Formats: sequence, structure tokens, C-alpha cells
Amino acid sequence: MPPVKRKLFNLDQYQVPRGKVQIISERCKGCSLCLEYCPNKVLAWSTDYNFKGYRYPVLEETEEKYCISCRFCEEVCPDFAIYVTTEPELTAKPQSTQRK
Amino acid sequence: MTRLGVFICHCGKNIARTVNIEALREKAATLPHVVLAKDYLYLCSKPGQTMIADDIREHRLDKVLIAACSPRLHGKTFAQTAQRAGLNPYLLDMANIREHCSWVHIDGAEGTEKAFSIIKGGLGRLLYAEPLEPFQSPVTKRVLVIGGGVAGIQATLDIANSGYEVYLVEKSPSLGGHMAQLGETFPTLDCSSCILTPKMVEVSQNEHVHLLSYSEVTRIEGNIGQFQVTVRLRPRYVDETLCTGCGDCVPTCPVVVSNEFDQGLGARKAVYLPFPQAVPAVYTIDWDACLNTDKLIICENCYKDCEAKAINFLMEPQEKMVEVGAVVLATGYELMPVARIGEYGGDEYEDVIDGLQFERMLSASGPTGGVVRRPSDGRIPQNVVFVQCAGSRDPEHGIPYCSKVCCMYTAKHALLYKHAVPDGQVYVFYIDIRAAGKGHEEFVQKVMSEERILYLRGKVSKIFKSGAKLVVWGADTLSGRQVEIEADLVVLAMAVIPSSGSQKLARTLHIASDLSGFFSEAHPKLRPLESNTDGIFLAGAAQFAKDITDTVSQATGAAGKALSLLANDFIKLEPTISEVEEGICRGCGLCVSICPFGAVKMLPSTRTGAMVAGINPILCKGCGLCTAGCLSGAVTLKGSSFKQIFAQLEEMV
Repeated sequence: MPPVKRKLFNLDQYQVPRGKVQIISERCKGCSLCLEYCPNKVLAWSTDYNFKGYRYPVLEETEEKYCISCRFCEEVCPDFAIYVTTEPELTAKPQSTQRK
Repeated sequence: MTRLGVFICHCGKNIARTVNIEALREKAATLPHVVLAKDYLYLCSKPGQTMIADDIREHRLDKVLIAACSPRLHGKTFAQTAQRAGLNPYLLDMANIREHCSWVHIDGAEGTEKAFSIIKGGLGRLLYAEPLEPFQSPVTKRVLVIGGGVAGIQATLDIANSGYEVYLVEKSPSLGGHMAQLGETFPTLDCSSCILTPKMVEVSQNEHVHLLSYSEVTRIEGNIGQFQVTVRLRPRYVDETLCTGCGDCVPTCPVVVSNEFDQGLGARKAVYLPFPQAVPAVYTIDWDACLNTDKLIICENCYKDCEAKAINFLMEPQEKMVEVGAVVLATGYELMPVARIGEYGGDEYEDVIDGLQFERMLSASGPTGGVVRRPSDGRIPQNVVFVQCAGSRDPEHGIPYCSKVCCMYTAKHALLYKHAVPDGQVYVFYIDIRAAGKGHEEFVQKVMSEERILYLRGKVSKIFKSGAKLVVWGADTLSGRQVEIEADLVVLAMAVIPSSGSQKLARTLHIASDLSGFFSEAHPKLRPLESNTDGIFLAGAAQFAKDITDTVSQATGAAGKALSLLANDFIKLEPTISEVEEGICRGCGLCVSICPFGAVKMLPSTRTGAMVAGINPILCKGCGLCTAGCLSGAVTLKGSSFKQIFAQLEEMV
């Protein structure tokens, strides 16, 4: 792999799934598992508190960081407080992803 | 009373120029036990050999010394002569008075004196020589081919079509190698993948071929006729037997990375087929890019979409043991990284690319669909500068040799670009045009004269960025002027270097490579297809940079060599190997750790039951390391015993 970070010519031919994160803030107890494990780091802490007195995750997407619908947050949440709905179309324009 | 015969070769003038043969013969005739001393113009010729054979019979010679060239060159020739005359071939020895004497001496008197001392030493050694008998070893009728480029494919097909089993090991997920990346081939402009992909398919469909893709050879033991090979199959996380190649796993994969097959110019997903015609047509998950790790399964999108249920995130590397009789090495080449040449931007500028990247742009299945574009902004370049000998013929950058293919492919690149962009301007910097091949010179001449392409004889000193353009500074040595060109795109014909894993493989296989890292052939003229280890053959650019035509020829040749080995049920192995005197061995095990071939093992003695060293005659190569290392002198190297070596030394000093 050449070390120059080039723009990839045919990037626009590649689409990735786009998910929409749904957060049920009242159920959250602020364990931070979803923030920890989100591979694209699209979640952040809220500034206010839920009625239990916890901060809860909120969605913070940018051009480069968006939900890719892997649904791992659903899997790890112990309180069923987060789930993902997948948009029917693959619309997002992908960024060239850095390797691990 | 031993009857010794000495035969001295003139080797034309190679020896006779420095060594006074007549004086040497007269002196040699006076040595003890010598009953016959003769000289001849070319001992290796048919009349020379006949003379030796006749004299052995006529004079009832017990042992014969041939004072001529290196035994590496003609040892076998004279051993066969001895055999024909009814003499055990191990009672004939050679004294090297050519490489060791006449070639390195100028003075005749000194040369003659040294030749005499070499002969005296040889006779001393010969006195203690004992007759040896070669032993037989069975031949496993299978071949291992390492590397699935065009060389490996050709060798595999030639062997498999003769009815023998072939294991083809390829490192990457697909066969094809660099040839699959090319657009069109010089000088005929044949479409590269159109002529290669049918061969790839043929490999996958041949019942005699076991294709091990995404795999590497990690260990090889044994000897000609019997190699035990360990192949490590990397997990592709997709079951090869279940995957239908439908591609349903790709759309929902969230990870996009650059595609190695497109030389980093195009994209692919983490689950991918490197190119549509890949063989095997099985998807692979790039575990480095995939969101999942060995400990954590984060994303299951591909798993959910795979109807064949071929995806298995828990796949682990496997080891496969294979027994073969011969090995064909076809590990190919790569291009020297642009980063190694700082004055050409050292890979800092996006619009300075190498030949293979340009090739991917020309390919209809490439990332730009066959259109030449600037990587920085995607526009079609109007001024293109090609730089030949980028790294090649440049000892300062560590590559003293000519990479052989760049002159031709640069001419082809210039032609194809010009056909696509007729009003574009092309400049080619070259040192010399080396177009020595069938139709090659005609091709370059056609490009130069008909296509209005400016060939500038000289080197490029510097490439730097100025706004959106690149400025190329170079010299035109024909007009004697400095040249400055504003270019949109610069294509460097980077030097061809051996593929990155080849040094490691050379160590695994115990074969030699040259200073540049290419595998060494057994003889540059007469045995170009063989490595210096018997039973391991070389094909393609792993031996040296070469074009497709030469690669295919060599691959077919290497396959022929392997087939002629497989035609025997048994092969004769040299008896000049180590032997342990059990009574002397004290069982320290030092030789076990010294042996580079794993031929020595500690075994209970047949007489006393104590642990002593035992040597596997098949694995032993007769290198003599254990003989020299043994503290009690229990190991003898047959054909070079201590008695022989000391007698030789005593006579010489």
C-alpha cells in the first residue's frame, strides 16, 4: 500500500449503510458501554440528565462520522435503552476509512 | 601399491596461458605412486574423456586426479568418465588449477608452482579416498509451486496437464499476480487480463491442481524428491467451499479502504474480491480493516446478508502438511517504493505515481475505468512526463541493474495516453533505450516517430510542486541544455525489486539469493532455471526482472525440469554425507543444534542403548558443519575425511 494518502478515484461508487440511532434516555443508567464500543464514535454524553439523574448518550454525527448501522450499541446496552433503525437505501458517501 | 594417474588440462589457454603445463606434467610424474601423468587441450571434450577412460583401463589406475577447472563445473562429467572405465567415481578427484590458480595469477613461474602444490595436495587427499556408493531415494510425484502470478500459473498448468498433482500456494486472495493488474501488454497491445484470466480459470478447474490461496509456505524440510512442506492457510473468514461469489455481503459492509490491487488508487470494502475475475471467486474479509477483532464481534452485516452462510468470524489459521518431490519458485517482483527517491518528491505529491499505478488507470476495469486522470483533482492531464530509470541503474539508490521492462512499458504508456488524449503532450526522460526483444525496437521506433512524443535523453534531477502543477527539472544531454517542464502528471518507471517476502522464503528454503535479493540460479549460463538446492526450480521475475514472454518461457522450462525429475521413481543421492562413529560419540547433542537442515537426531545406540547422534541420510546435505563442530571427532564427512584433509594440507604446505 503506497503511503501517500490519496483520494480514491472510485469512492463515489461505494456506499455504506446508514443507520439512525434511537435513544430512550429514561432507560439509560449511564454505563457508557455504547460510547466505548461505537466503532465510528458517533455518540457523546448529553449535557443534561435524565429523570434518574444520569447523563445519557446523544447522537453527534459529522460528515465523516456517522452511524454505519452495525447495531453493536443495541447488543451491548444492558437496559435496552438504545436501538438502531436502518435507512432502507444505502445513501451515505463513504470516507476512506483508516485501518485499525 | 596404489597406482595413481594425473591428467592436466590446458583448458584451451585458460590454464596454459599462466601455467607451464609441460613442466607441471614432468614434475607431477615424479611424485610417489604416480604411474601416469598426461596433459590434454580439453579434457572435458569427448576425445579427452575417451583418453582418460582408456588410460584407466590400460594402466590399471586405482585412483585418478584431474587437474583442471572447478569440480562444480565438471565434477560430474569426470565422475561419469570414471564410471564408464569401471572405476568408482569417488576414487577420481579434481584439483582446481583454473579458478584457484591460473585465473588469479599473472606470473607464470608462481602460477606453475602453485598449480604443482595444488596437484600435490590433491594426490595426498586422493591416497586416503575410499570407494563410495550412491544410495537411492524415492521421488514423491507431486510438485509445489510458490506464487500464483503468470509464472506460477504457467508452471502449474504445464505440470498438471502432464498428469501430476500440483500444490499452488499464493499469498494474496487471488491468482493473477501483477499481470492481472496490467491493461495492455507490449509490443502487441494484447489485453492482459483477456489472455491471463482463461489460464486462471483453467488452474481452478484442473483436477490435478490444489489451489491454496491466501496462504504462505512457512517451513520446508527434506531433500530433492522428498520435501515436507508446511503451508499456513490464513483465515479469510469466508468458507471457500460455501461462498458462491454472489457479492451480497458487500453493500452493507460499512468499511471502505483502498484496494491493493488498484495500487491504492481505488476503493474496496473490508469484505472484498480484489477484482471481478479473481480466482478463486471467493470473498475475503480483510481482518485488519474489519470492525471485528478476535475478541469482539461488533458488526454482523455481511453475516446477516450471506444466504449461503459462508461467513465465519471464528475462523482460525490452519497448517497443512504437503509432501512433494520438487518445488517451483515463482514469487515475482514488486516496484521500488517511490518514497525511496527523495528528489522525486519521495511520495509526497499525489500526482507523482509509479508505472503500476498508471497501468491501473489504463485498465478498463481499473478505478478510473480506463481514463487517465490526475489523482489530486481527477482532471485529465495535458502534460505528462515519464521518467525512466527511476531507481534503476542508479547505485546511489541501491539498484545498480537495469530493470529491463521499463523502456518498453513506458513507450506503451506514452502511446496509450496519446491515443486517449491526442492533444496532450508527452515527454519521456531516458538514459538509453533498451528494446532488445522480438518486435520491441520496432514498437519504440513507432512510438517515437509516429506519435509526436518527445524523448529527452537525460536524467531528471528534481520534481517539485508549483501551484497545482508539478515542475520537472532535468537535463537534455543531446542538446546540452537544462530542461524545465510544467507537468500535470509524472509517471516514474520505478526499479523492479524482488517481492518483499522473498528473503524470508530464501531462508526457509535454504537457497541463495544475490546482492539485490533475487534468487540465485545454479549456473548463470547453463542452469538458469535451477536454484543451488537440488529439486528447487526458479521461474519468472523472482530470479530477475523480466517481461511476460521471458517469464512464461522460464516457467515452462522450470516445469519441464520438475517433470524430468518426476519421471524417475528413484533418484540417486550423493554418498558424500556425514556418518557418526557410535563408539566415540558421547551424546552431547551439539551436532543436533549445529545442523542447519535438521538431519541429526539423538537416538539410542543399537549396541549400548545410550543416546548417540544419528544422521538422516536423506536430509544430510554433506555441509560438514557437524564434522567440524563435534568435540570428540565422532563425525566423519565421507569423501572428505580428516585423514584426507590433513594429508592434503601436509602435501601443500
